[in-house]
Amino acid sequence: MSTSFIRLVSRLLIVCLIGLPFQVSAGMIGTDQAVTAAQAQAARNAVLSQISRADVAGQLQSLGLTPQAAADRVAALTDAEVAKLSGQIQSLPAGADGELLLLILVGVLIWWIVKK
Amino acid sequence: MDRQEVAAPPAAPHRAAGKARLRAGFFFAALAASCCLGGCISLPQSEALRASAPQGLPPRAELTQVPFHAQSDFLCGPASLAMVFNAAGISAANVESVTPMVYLPGRQGSLQAEMLGATRRVGLLGYTLAPRLEDMLREIAAGTPVVVLLNLAFKVFPVWHYAVVVGYDLEKGEVIVRSANRPRDDWSFEFLEYFWKESGYWSMVAVPPGRMPATATEPEAAAAVAALEQAGRQSEARESYWALLARWPANLIGLVGLGNVEYNLKDLPAAERAFRRASEAHPRSAVAFNNLAHVLAELGRLADAEAAARTAVSLAGPSLPETQKTLEAILARRKQP
Repeated sequence: MSTSFIRLVSRLLIVCLIGLPFQVSAGMIGTDQAVTAAQAQAARNAVLSQISRADVAGQLQSLGLTPQAAADRVAALTDAEVAKLSGQIQSLPAGADGELLLLILVGVLIWWIVKK
Repeated sequence: MDRQEVAAPPAAPHRAAGKARLRAGFFFAALAASCCLGGCISLPQSEALRASAPQGLPPRAELTQVPFHAQSDFLCGPASLAMVFNAAGISAANVESVTPMVYLPGRQGSLQAEMLGATRRVGLLGYTLAPRLEDMLREIAAGTPVVVLLNLAFKVFPVWHYAVVVGYDLEKGEVIVRSANRPRDDWSFEFLEYFWKESGYWSMVAVPPGRMPATATEPEAAAAVAALEQAGRQSEARESYWALLARWPANLIGLVGLGNVEYNLKDLPAAERAFRRASEAHPRSAVAFNNLAHVLAELGRLADAEAAARTAVSLAGPSLPETQKTLEAILARRKQP
């Protein structure tokens, strides 16, 4: 089985796991549509959002999360956040380390000033 | 999760504070020197705060009750969240429990969006503050610690780091910060701003459901509560919608969202009240009338339901397909003997 096939299947599974987060019962309109009511494309946005959610969940998976964890984490994000993450997970800030670099930076600054 | 080491014991507070002061001093000397040598670094927010104290802001505040969680390795995101979660009443939160919700092994760090996502998953309202130092201080004065994103290195080679600001002193021009393995550091406004500005002055708070952040603005607050609802925390979202509507009684997202949450929680009379308020405050909202019609139909009041559904259809707009379906379903039910 090719990796791309496995990727496809896992993405489909993610879509199933994510479901429609705002889904109330048939007939009711979700809060997200009230949020986007000003735009004439609420329904299209909903479809796009599902695609980018699956996309982001796939990327999270490739960065070391299990399919279930990736789906749970994407489900807690808003459409706007998902849209921002989509395709940018590698480049957006990921807060991590602290102290050591701070000290190095101050050292470098002082060195630079003294040298200048 | 491959990184769940036990947190290191915190350093002695007074020593840490002393070292921090020393470091801040070094930094200041460096900053002053570099300014003198030309190429001045602009730190406008610190300058403005030092020039004049904002109206109605207490001269100093410190949230000593915010516990400290030391960070090990790349876990400043989970450690910062654990601190603010504890402060917001989630006492069981710690670095180990938060890590799987926010830490991304492949990036060896935590993304901003996921910091907010994890906040919603524990049932708290996550809110991104406006990019202003003054707003941060106002939140602290109101009792809410603030998570900040800092770039500790350079624009071209960023090293991102989360820390928690728990206090400030306007006179001294300092903030009090819990960062990495330091439970209490004093940083000058300039020191903070220098590292903070490259994240676009990004900061967030986690407030308990039923409370609004002190500096919240109407559209951002409404979107934050809707996000809590979307994350599946219905009863917490209900409390936050109440708080939102207490401050902005006519907010459409608040009224429709409250109705939807009440509906999901099976309180139909409360859902009806919310949608009715929404339709009265926003007589052009098809969503409000559609959902009102739906709830009235479920309550068996089909004539009222039909009237509301007809209004919804007459308003057209992007939800027209749904409103037409609602009307058809109600008409079909009315025809049944």
